[in-house]
Amino acid sequence: MDQVASNKPQPAAGQAERVIRHPALDRLYHWLMASCVLILMATAFLPILGIKFEWLDIHWVTGVVLAALIVIHIIRALFFQDWRNMWIGLRDLREMRRDLARLFGSRIEPPKPGKYDASQKLYHLGVAVVVLSVVCSGLLMLLKIDTPLWRRNPYLFSADTWGVIYVIHGMAAMTIVAIVIIHLYFTLMPDSWYMLRAMVRGWISREEYTKHYDATRWKA
Amino acid sequence: MALFRYSRSIYGGSDQLIGASWDLLPWFVGAALAFIVVHAALNALAKHRANQS
Repeated sequence: MDQVASNKPQPAAGQAERVIRHPALDRLYHWLMASCVLILMATAFLPILGIKFEWLDIHWVTGVVLAALIVIHIIRALFFQDWRNMWIGLRDLREMRRDLARLFGSRIEPPKPGKYDASQKLYHLGVAVVVLSVVCSGLLMLLKIDTPLWRRNPYLFSADTWGVIYVIHGMAAMTIVAIVIIHLYFTLMPDSWYMLRAMVRGWISREEYTKHYDATRWKA
Repeated sequence: MALFRYSRSIYGGSDQLIGASWDLLPWFVGAALAFIVVHAALNALAKHRANQS
């Protein structure tokens, strides 16, 4: 019971102690969101690249699923998780400056981060802005097609306004392509394989926790 | 290189904005790849310096 209350896994016999980084529900959310984004990218860009198929129904249904996932994520993050884990403060900005300085030659080691480092928080903020832009514009674009749930009403906005909505959707979608490529790069870097494992299996070792994180900022 | 797509009115009116130009897609991909190359190079240099010290 104490083990459940402290949320701290105990080492099994002969096994290194593990620290839960991503509980099952978070991993499920991440991979569902990733699946939606990949399906949306494929249905958006393959026809543009010349691979023709009936993409629209798959695209809008997946978009609605992604919108629902984001609403669930926002509710969970605000009311059931510690949203401060992702909050960017002045301390994060200072650490980001030190990280950049180290990349450009400084020998001063930046301090260990909490659960997420400053660049991960900034990345999350960027993804949030871009994905919310693409989802909100996409939901408005649903007004232009008939679905089993509603009839189309393309006259809700002027032609100029529709043009702006389409520009936002297209620019945000192309930005997501760049973001996904960069995300894959950081995921596949050997230095961060332990984080990929954590997103697949949920845990990092106690040794990785001690090596990479400040225990006072991420109490595991 | 166009930034936006326009449709021409059949009634002879002004061009109508209809979205972002898909010609930009290779530029977004290129920007991501450029970021990766620069980051990988700087990261390798930083590790090299750390190993030397």
